[in-house]
Amino acid sequence: MKKIVLVVLALTLCAGTCLAVELEYFQVYKPKSGMSADEIMQIKYFVKYTKFAHDAEFAGKAYYIDKSGSIRERGTMRRRINLGRKSDGLAYKDIILFTSPVQVKGLGILTWTYLDPKRDTEQWMWIPSLKKIRKTSQAEADDAFMGADFTTEEITTRKFEDETYKLAGEENFKGYTSVYTKKTYYEGAPVFVIEARPKRANWYYSKRVCYIDKETGGDIFDEIYDANGKLFRTLFRAYEIYKVDGKDYPAQTIIEGQDLRSGHSTAITNDKIAFDQGFSEDMFTERALAQSRW
Amino acid sequence: MKIFRLILAFLFIFSFTLAEAGFEMSGYLKNEVSMGLQTFNDVSKIKNIFSLSGEYVINDNWAAFMSVRGWYDNVYDVRDKYDPAQHYMGHTQRIDWLRDCYLDYMNGPWFLRLGRQQVAWGQSDGIPILDRVNPFDLTEYWLQDFVDMRIPLWMANINYAPTLNSNLQLLIIPEFEQSTAAPPDAPFAFRSYRLFDEFLTNWYGGVDIPGLTPPAFRGDIFTNIYYHSKDLKNSKIGVQWKDRFADWDYTLNYLWGYDYAARTYLDRIDYVTLPFPPFPDVPENFHYSRRFKLVHLVGGSLNHTFTEEGPLNGITMRSDLAFYLNEPTYFGDVTAGSSAGVKRWNNIFWLIGLDKYVAANWQVSFQFAQYIMQHKSPGGVSPTSGRPYQTMNAYTYGAQDRVENIFSVKVMTDFMHDRLKPEILWSATDDNQGRISPKVTYEIKDNLWLTVGVHHFYGREEDSNGQFRDMSQFYTHLKFTF
Repeated sequence: MKKIVLVVLALTLCAGTCLAVELEYFQVYKPKSGMSADEIMQIKYFVKYTKFAHDAEFAGKAYYIDKSGSIRERGTMRRRINLGRKSDGLAYKDIILFTSPVQVKGLGILTWTYLDPKRDTEQWMWIPSLKKIRKTSQAEADDAFMGADFTTEEITTRKFEDETYKLAGEENFKGYTSVYTKKTYYEGAPVFVIEARPKRANWYYSKRVCYIDKETGGDIFDEIYDANGKLFRTLFRAYEIYKVDGKDYPAQTIIEGQDLRSGHSTAITNDKIAFDQGFSEDMFTERALAQSRW
Repeated sequence: MKIFRLILAFLFIFSFTLAEAGFEMSGYLKNEVSMGLQTFNDVSKIKNIFSLSGEYVINDNWAAFMSVRGWYDNVYDVRDKYDPAQHYMGHTQRIDWLRDCYLDYMNGPWFLRLGRQQVAWGQSDGIPILDRVNPFDLTEYWLQDFVDMRIPLWMANINYAPTLNSNLQLLIIPEFEQSTAAPPDAPFAFRSYRLFDEFLTNWYGGVDIPGLTPPAFRGDIFTNIYYHSKDLKNSKIGVQWKDRFADWDYTLNYLWGYDYAARTYLDRIDYVTLPFPPFPDVPENFHYSRRFKLVHLVGGSLNHTFTEEGPLNGITMRSDLAFYLNEPTYFGDVTAGSSAGVKRWNNIFWLIGLDKYVAANWQVSFQFAQYIMQHKSPGGVSPTSGRPYQTMNAYTYGAQDRVENIFSVKVMTDFMHDRLKPEILWSATDDNQGRISPKVTYEIKDNLWLTVGVHHFYGREEDSNGQFRDMSQFYTHLKFTF
């Protein structure tokens, strides 16, 4: 009996380790009680980068809200194709187009992300004032993403392997009231609480406390602490379940970052979301980017 | 007539908005003011620009795009010294109002863009090495955005993608427009133009004969410009192959056709022999012609981002290389300030650029380029001064080194959540001449943007940037978009 328990335990641990290493693309995963912090975070990244879907499209707006309440807007349209392809190491390809205001309309960024967590992304940018494509370097991970109250790594480049995780508990979420919509979200929702610490030394944060929604596996709220252990920023994400071919796809509908020091916040709303529309990979090439008319 | 065309174009676009949901339109009003750095009252530009663009997506395969632009520069009304250039610089010229007018067809590997458009080749920033498909509007030197400097042409732009990341592009450009430059009395008139204009104005032929007023006789200067015929056989042809090899993007480029810049040739001088000694034969009439020459461009570009861990991680490398075969190259006596003729040489222009983000949101971009002439010396000696001929800079008629080393450094960042964007560009050559251009753009509102900046030129009068050393300026751009 003791042997059987040990074997089962070993198999469970092995399954857990395997899960933490690799989840299969185009499957839907949900976190469950009893999973390790690593397993839960693996699913969180899977959800974040919509690896459950073959392709995804998000159209919406980014709102920059300063302390006085004045708001600036950017319209964006984002398309992604998931590949998870070992032959050339490509994880997914993204294209982001700015649709407003006119000053930035037409600006397009094509990004290829690799499976290798140590490898940077490749980026090409369509610059309307030059009417040409320029290959660009990946922005520094701690740079503000599009000038927003979250960093590039928080939105696009952070990977599971960049942090260590500790499960701090399970609870019902206290709720978050959005600066932009003024609505309160996820009040009383069951969540896993996970403490994540960066592997990188002297990084812009010392730890973050993540609240992972048990329903979707999405990271709905992050408390981000500076080097002195002081909370300086929060990051909220709302998810909705989209039914696609009988499967439940969790989709980010709102992302909102608040800088507690400056009082500035940024909200991104995804007003139009679609999955598995049958995008072909040639929509994610330099050639496609160069077909821009703006 | 031009206003009528603008109104017609606007109505044409507006009619779509009423008719179709697949139509999208936007535009802007922009005011540009420039004034001298030494004396603020030396205003050299008060330009107001109106632009309107419309896109009509007909279906998944077809789309149409049109963009019109009109402008008026008040400085030619208020500054007497620029009066003579008003006819050319004061308002929109000819068909310059039509910036884009094309139809797109997309179907699988095929992409066709037919109509008036601009095509940009190459990876360099601000130095057109392969970017020679369209002519340039250099009436404001190289200070405008490239999208405004390129002169759009009617062309067929045919693309076929045999594999996922490759593309074969064929350009057939039946229309010909020459690159434009500012006339002699405009703020950014090239020195070579000003010198030639002075020569035209001051030449009276022959010599003064004591006791005879006015001069003994007056000569003439004849200038003709020769255009090639508008036959289809004279179309410019461009081919570009683009692909990817081991994570390196590359292109191979070929462009054949008439160069967009006419070169000035001295065809003949009529001499007169005065009927009384001791005066020898003296030049009386000069016959000049301006001609466009057939040139080949053969080249390619390369770019790569070092994405793997290591010392080069995060660096993007860009490179262009072009051979200009049979490129018309001026030569002459640089002290005389006029060219003696044109040599047809095979010259090389290449560039390497390195970009990297450092310290969060600071982007640094460095470029080094070399323009290498086929020969060091054109040979020959000036019959008037006895000096050996030198190759000459087409913009200034100053001496041109066989190898011209050019570099530029650009540093960009942003503050206030992308609202305030400072940038500084320093471009220079090894002749200790160049331009330093800092600027700051501030987003007042979503639809209102203010840019203030400085262009500081330095160097000798005979150098490309140095010729404008007295034109260093402070400028503002205010742009309202809708």
